[in-house]
Amino acid sequence: MFLLPKGSPLFENLAVSKLKLPDVLLKLSNGVFTGYASFVFQTGTVILVFESGKLVSSLLEEHNGKRLTGFESLAALAERMVTSGSGSMNVYKLSKDLTLCIHALLEGETLYKAQDLKLIDINSLLKKVKEDQMNGCLRIYTDEHSAMIFYKEGNPLGFFHDGSSEIETSSSESQKIAGLPGAKIDLFSTKGVEDIMGVNLLEVANIQKIWDTAVAIHQTEIEKTNKERFEREKKIESVKLAEFEERIKIIVGDAIGKVGKGIVDKELAENGGNSCLIDDAGSAKFLSGVERAAKLLISATNIRILMEKLTEALATAKSEF
Amino acid sequence: MEKFFEMMIQMNTFDLVQVIFWGLAGAISFYFSLGNARVWTSISIGFFLIFLSQAYGINPWAHYAKLTAFHYIVGTVAIMTITHGFLEYYVFCKTFEISGNKGIVYLSTVVVLALSGVFLIINPTPSPNTIRNIKMVENAIWVFLCVMNIEIVRKIYIAIKDSDISKGFIAFSIVFYCILLWRGSDLYLQIFQWDKDWQDIIAMMTEETTDIEEYVGRVQFSRDVTKYAGLLSGASVGGTFAYIYRLLK
Repeated sequence: MFLLPKGSPLFENLAVSKLKLPDVLLKLSNGVFTGYASFVFQTGTVILVFESGKLVSSLLEEHNGKRLTGFESLAALAERMVTSGSGSMNVYKLSKDLTLCIHALLEGETLYKAQDLKLIDINSLLKKVKEDQMNGCLRIYTDEHSAMIFYKEGNPLGFFHDGSSEIETSSSESQKIAGLPGAKIDLFSTKGVEDIMGVNLLEVANIQKIWDTAVAIHQTEIEKTNKERFEREKKIESVKLAEFEERIKIIVGDAIGKVGKGIVDKELAENGGNSCLIDDAGSAKFLSGVERAAKLLISATNIRILMEKLTEALATAKSEF
Repeated sequence: MEKFFEMMIQMNTFDLVQVIFWGLAGAISFYFSLGNARVWTSISIGFFLIFLSQAYGINPWAHYAKLTAFHYIVGTVAIMTITHGFLEYYVFCKTFEISGNKGIVYLSTVVVLALSGVFLIINPTPSPNTIRNIKMVENAIWVFLCVMNIEIVRKIYIAIKDSDISKGFIAFSIVFYCILLWRGSDLYLQIFQWDKDWQDIIAMMTEETTDIEEYVGRVQFSRDVTKYAGLLSGASVGGTFAYIYRLLK
């Protein structure tokens, strides 16, 4: 999970299921927000970086390492917001400088990923950064905390850790995290802030359309799932009905003889199939038809017994269905 | 009423017993039709009509030729109604369709009998020869339809072998065998002009002769078969309906 240090929190752990992406982005844009919004899902995290209300960067990183940026990440975000039942949104305010550094970081390249701090020669690494005059970011993190050190042309620019809204100069937080068990580092090279394009994604992407498409696709999926579930249930019901029909035939056949099966088939055909057995009006007509035929074949006593058995069976079936 | 009893006394005992048997059979079958499905209505009404056709012996107005002829026409309608009922039952065994109205059966029977009556009224008074012809036609239709009914009853029995009422159809087959013997033997006599009616006609009206003396044995045998099979038929019909009533209780 791409864990950025928390800036000055504006919102934390807002349930994503209750939010609409166009509304969220509009609010952040109209509020001239500078900072980042993170959307945390079970499968990954989306980071949206705002600078003075402009959406300058969008990144989706999944747990399997897959990354999407730009329109694709926005579409993926919309899809996850619509389909995911869980997910939370956090909004952290940052200074403009820090925001631009984060933006540059997201546009940059991963040089080292998830290296265990105990196993790495951190001094050699920092020496390399200085020698190569790198523009980059060293991220030190555990599962719950992270801190970043920004470098420009090999020189440290400053620190960013939980609670900061600006580039800090103190390294104490970073050192604390480095000392935690399981701490890891990532090293990213970044483009110079001057080199990255300040395109406002909100102006070039039709967020409403992206959202509506995600909603429509999700709706179609839901309808498809419902249809499949309905058909599955219908199939199960039809199998159960067929079994029940056989039971009825056995009851009638035992009372009347082999013609009983034919009588049941005929009455079911006249009453719209075996679904009439679980319908009040249909089952009453069915029983009446069977009784009428039975009067020509068996004694009054046996008819009464037959009707009792059939009524009991139908009552049981209605409760099952 | 006195005339009725007088007629009863004058009647041949055997014929009287036969009429009584058919009377009982008719009463039982009619009673059976009242509380049962429409299919049984045709069958029951038909057997009841047999009683009406046989009752000319106790009909005080039987000397009216048209009424005598009407009795025989009723007999023909009787077997046709019975056959219609069994055909309906067979259709039910194959298709399980039961439809129609009991009232229509009663009404149709009455209408057919009424039309038969009208037919007799609008035509000249039938001579003894004509009455004999009507009786012969009745016997022929009986024989043919009995054979057909035996086959239908057999098919019905096979179709519903394991139901309560199936044994009743075995009884019906016995009934039709008895009726086949009864009417068949009478028809046999009529065809060869050995029947009593023809003997009376040639004695009174024509100069024709008969060869009955040459075939006394078979004539007597046929007459005996007619007599006893007729009695047996009446008894078996009453017994069969009583038996079916018990089966369906």
